[in-house]
Amino acid sequence: MQELIQALVAGVLMGGIYALIGIGMTLIMGVMKIINLAHGELMMVAMYITYVLAQYFGLDPYFSLLIAMPSLFIIGVLIQKYLLNPLLKVDSILPENQVLMTVGVGMVLTEVMRFIFQADFKSVKTSYSSTAFYLGTISFNLPMVVAFGIAVALTICLFYFLLKTDVGKSIRATAQNKEAALLMGINAEKITVMTYGLGASLAAASGTLLLPIYYLFPSIGGPFTLKAFVITMLGGMGSTVGAIVGGVVLGVAESLGATYIKMGLKDSVAMFIFLLVLIFLPGGLKRLTKV
Amino acid sequence: MKKFFRFSLVLIMALALFAPTASFAQETIRVGIILPISGGQASFGEIEKNSFDIAMEEINGSGGINGKKIEFLYEDDTGRPDVARSAAEKLINKDKVAMLGGGYGSSETMAIAGVAQQNRMPFLINTGSDDKITEKGWDFVFRLNPYASEYFKGLESFLTEVVKPQTCAILYENTNFGTSQSKAFATACERLGIKVVMTEGYEKGGVDFKPLLINVKKANPDLIYMISYLMDASLLMRQSMELQLNPKMFIGGGAGFTLPEFPDNAGKASEKVMSVTLWYQSLPYPGALDYFTKYKERFKKNTEYHGAEAYSAAYVIADVLKRAKSLSPDDIKEALLATDMKTCFGPVKFVKVGDKINQNVLPTYVMQWIDGKGELVWPKEGAGKPYVYPVNWQKEWK
Amino acid sequence: MGNTFNWRKIPWAKVLSVAFLVLFPLLVDSDYYRHLFIIALMWVVIGSSWNLLSGYTGQVSFGHAIFFGVGAYTAGLFTTKLSMSAWWGMLLGGPVSLLVGIVIGWICFRLRGPYFALATIAIGEIFRQVAENWISFTEGMQGILIIQTFRSKIPYYYLALGLAIACVGTIALVLRSKWGFYFIAIREDQDAAEALGISSYRYKSLSLMISSFFTGLAGAFYMNYMAFIDPQVVFSLHYISIMAILVGIIGGVGTIWGPAVGAFIMVLLQETFRSSFYGLVPRWVSEAHVLVFGLLVIFVIRYMANGMVGDWPKIQQLWSRPKAVSSPSVSGN
Repeated sequence: MQELIQALVAGVLMGGIYALIGIGMTLIMGVMKIINLAHGELMMVAMYITYVLAQYFGLDPYFSLLIAMPSLFIIGVLIQKYLLNPLLKVDSILPENQVLMTVGVGMVLTEVMRFIFQADFKSVKTSYSSTAFYLGTISFNLPMVVAFGIAVALTICLFYFLLKTDVGKSIRATAQNKEAALLMGINAEKITVMTYGLGASLAAASGTLLLPIYYLFPSIGGPFTLKAFVITMLGGMGSTVGAIVGGVVLGVAESLGATYIKMGLKDSVAMFIFLLVLIFLPGGLKRLTKV
Repeated sequence: MKKFFRFSLVLIMALALFAPTASFAQETIRVGIILPISGGQASFGEIEKNSFDIAMEEINGSGGINGKKIEFLYEDDTGRPDVARSAAEKLINKDKVAMLGGGYGSSETMAIAGVAQQNRMPFLINTGSDDKITEKGWDFVFRLNPYASEYFKGLESFLTEVVKPQTCAILYENTNFGTSQSKAFATACERLGIKVVMTEGYEKGGVDFKPLLINVKKANPDLIYMISYLMDASLLMRQSMELQLNPKMFIGGGAGFTLPEFPDNAGKASEKVMSVTLWYQSLPYPGALDYFTKYKERFKKNTEYHGAEAYSAAYVIADVLKRAKSLSPDDIKEALLATDMKTCFGPVKFVKVGDKINQNVLPTYVMQWIDGKGELVWPKEGAGKPYVYPVNWQKEWK
Repeated sequence: MGNTFNWRKIPWAKVLSVAFLVLFPLLVDSDYYRHLFIIALMWVVIGSSWNLLSGYTGQVSFGHAIFFGVGAYTAGLFTTKLSMSAWWGMLLGGPVSLLVGIVIGWICFRLRGPYFALATIAIGEIFRQVAENWISFTEGMQGILIIQTFRSKIPYYYLALGLAIACVGTIALVLRSKWGFYFIAIREDQDAAEALGISSYRYKSLSLMISSFFTGLAGAFYMNYMAFIDPQVVFSLHYISIMAILVGIIGGVGTIWGPAVGAFIMVLLQETFRSSFYGLVPRWVSEAHVLVFGLLVIFVIRYMANGMVGDWPKIQQLWSRPKAVSSPSVSGN
């Protein structure tokens, strides 16, 4: 029983961070109907920003959220504006050209970082990196709890933004029905640029929160990209609530899978769930709850 | 005129590519060294490359190889066997090296050894430790370092005399090195009467090892033996601390657990953790301490057994090239076979042990992280400091 | 010097290119360059196979490492499990991979567009992890090691060349047949194709079968030539599946010769940088070998949506008259 609870706790806490990655992806996929295969790489760039700030300026990783997020917003805007949007106007054989572009972008981001920082591992040492508190015998890793809390806070802010502001409403409208939104006079180009920036800065947040507990190397992004789209499919494209649920479900599934099946097959568990959802529940949890 | 455009482009490309590679008079003897200079194992590659560099300067400074200079040509295998293989091909066929050295990861070393044997190119391995590499009957492949199932030879007496564990859990990284050492350790445990309650591999680079450690906690073994590279080793220990595991001892199977970066990354979770090791600077080998201080002075960093392996491999290579009748692969091979020298890593002599040929045999040791410093603690004769056992983990982790 | 591209003259270039490739190992007496060309030819096979399924049939696969890995392991298991030569893999690697392809098609073809792509990534990752963990069957991460049959590169070279010619030739033939039209019809508009009575499932499967067959053969060849495989090498998402896509994109999606050109560009460009232009420029340049390739990918997608071969006329105009602007419509080859 105790193991089960500990595994659940570990899974839910991890799920909080996954959810942040997932929300960014779900917005991008919802609005643009493309898979952003550079998502994990954007997160990686933010982690390097945080790393540099911590290493050379002694800035606490949580504080660098305020720098990493806006920086990634700008990077995201530039990528969307100059690399992805122009593709809409180009005649090409495959409609997936934007997806393929994100592959290229991800590759270049990874390689640029590898060029600057070399391939070896970097980590940010904080006084609280391995601090834990205990409820009974169940341990809670402090930075993970903080990350979970910040993830929740960011999600609430995001909700407010999406529900109350004009831009937010336009993003939601575009995510729900692009054609209708265009007919209503929404400037699609501006919305996509905003969304990609927003998605990138959410990825940045998750990366920054992850850094105190994990470490960093240039090709760290790939596995997180995979997790992000698993979450998106689980929750349903464009659904932020879905992404939160999806993130937690994924975290718990991985944790339980690794505990009770086999550690080495941890990621396969996620992929398997993903396939089942793709095939039997296309549209994800959104379809069940209509949120 | 466009009809030939495409073709001529191909032609130009081809011409540019095959511009004759100048084969100027050989003032230097070139030796190819394949190491992971980038990628996940770059920290090890760096230590080894630095050590090769120091040795190269020293050898050339003291007369070189019979008057000629020695030059190490480094190739980066990026931690991937297919890249290692291409690198070996390039060194043999394009750079025309006299012999090959290096070989870090077991899979990469295996791939290089295959190429070397096929091209009849002598290859001196200094780290790749999978038992099978010298069991294939490949007569051009020589190994300076102990093989994976010998890594914990020095640990065995420590276990039977001091810790006397009843049960053991083995956690290993799912790589060639991890699987082969874990298998060997499980067999050794059986022989020593230690019950293996859990053997589990994990995919390297995990964020969260808690699911694995939860199971370890449930099994509550006396001994936790981990075969991991650097970052996984640090995370495993940090998360063990968090989950408050309480075995009699945590022991690492070399690799990540001996690197100076390990306590940097694991923090206080590294304290009193033991690891098997192949070398220590205080060992009574000629030049061991000398090498250690030189390395530290020059690179402002500590070195450990991987560096010593590389450093002494460089000297073995120099010695072999000096003794070889000519630089033909067969003569170099003969010279390798006749090797009998003392290096800072220990005496080197290539012999047949069991199924293995051209294998150097050396004792192995146990080290412990005491107050943030790696200290040799076993066997007692060579120990720099007395081992700390039993350990009250709760106190260490406060 | 008209602006029209003279199509009649293309076969000339092709014939000469093939002739060059046939004579190459006799002209160049360096095992190192032969090795590079062998790898490039192997990528011609993988890239062309990907292109048939993705470029011509419109099913963008991010999972070609599955077929490559299955082919390689079929060959490898012949030695480890049956103590037979890995060359049997050249016989069975293709068919086994094709069977896997049928099953994967059955799972994935109900999904469309990006969903199909995601499903192939997921299955690819599952294959890799299962191969890593099913140690009693695959040897796990210890991998499978054999000794090459030939010391000389020449037999491997001609085998790879033969494979590449067979693959590109088969695809060219298939595309000229009725099947080819059905494939393209499905790519252009699956619903319209269905409405015309083309069974999209059937033709997508056929396309996948040919594609997986050749990719599997390439995998079996890899086992025999490289003589060492492990799951992270042959089932790699990044180094196999995505590279297959990039090879196709650089050369030209939906063109017969595109992936072939893309494969040579990828291998030679990366090696040129990796070896710092064969030692002519400072060594740090070599660190950028993947970066340059990535930049090229972005450039091609952004400015030459149809790849080097697909947008060849565009490049030529650029070459001869930098100011001349036109937008040639290229459809297929």
